[in-house]
Amino acid sequence: MTPSESAQLKNRIRKLRFEHGEMTQQELADRVGAARQTIIALEAGKYTPSLLLAFRLARVFGVKTEDVFQWNAD
Amino acid sequence: MKDRIPLAPLQKFAWYNLIVFAIAVAAYAIAVPVLAAHFHRTLAAAALPSLGMFGLTGLWGFGSLICDRRKLDERESLINQKAMIAGMLLFWQVWVLSCMGVWAYLSYARHQDVVPVTLLPILVFAGGIIYVVTQAIAILIQYKRSAADDAL
Repeated sequence: MTPSESAQLKNRIRKLRFEHGEMTQQELADRVGAARQTIIALEAGKYTPSLLLAFRLARVFGVKTEDVFQWNAD
Repeated sequence: MKDRIPLAPLQKFAWYNLIVFAIAVAAYAIAVPVLAAHFHRTLAAAALPSLGMFGLTGLWGFGSLICDRRKLDERESLINQKAMIAGMLLFWQVWVLSCMGVWAYLSYARHQDVVPVTLLPILVFAGGIIYVVTQAIAILIQYKRSAADDAL
């Protein structure tokens, strides 16, 4: 994925965290088996996760993967 | 107030390597005049034996206790991988250039066909130092760039 394509990938992780009992970044990181810095990078849109991590994140929030990540290709 | 993010194990590992390197450089800088004053007549003569201070970089071996690389997550593994590539790239370029440089200098400037055997371990060791230091810097830069600003 090129940097410009990566920039088109948006996510709602921060919003979903707050909707789920104001879950902290560390709590989310522990539940998906990642470092807190990785969650920070994801929320800032500076890291594109693997499919596996994307599915794990969606499962923690109890939503579909496309409800967490949106790709605006236009 | 923005909370301070604790350093990730990989960042601690990078800082540890840089601190050990800085201590070795400081020890070398101190050793040169001390050895010159006690055992050698000039600073230049003391410069080579003082390189022994870089043996302190053997402490890098304890870095594995700070960061268990099997426990890195996917992004951290990627950061580590890129840092290793950066370290290897710089190591190879500097190492090959210095190897050829030594040979060319001795051959053309001093008309010697033989490279002194003492130079080989120094070149290998310097290459190792370049690799580790570059890797550590590359790790810290990548963490800084990928939003964990407070952690650097």
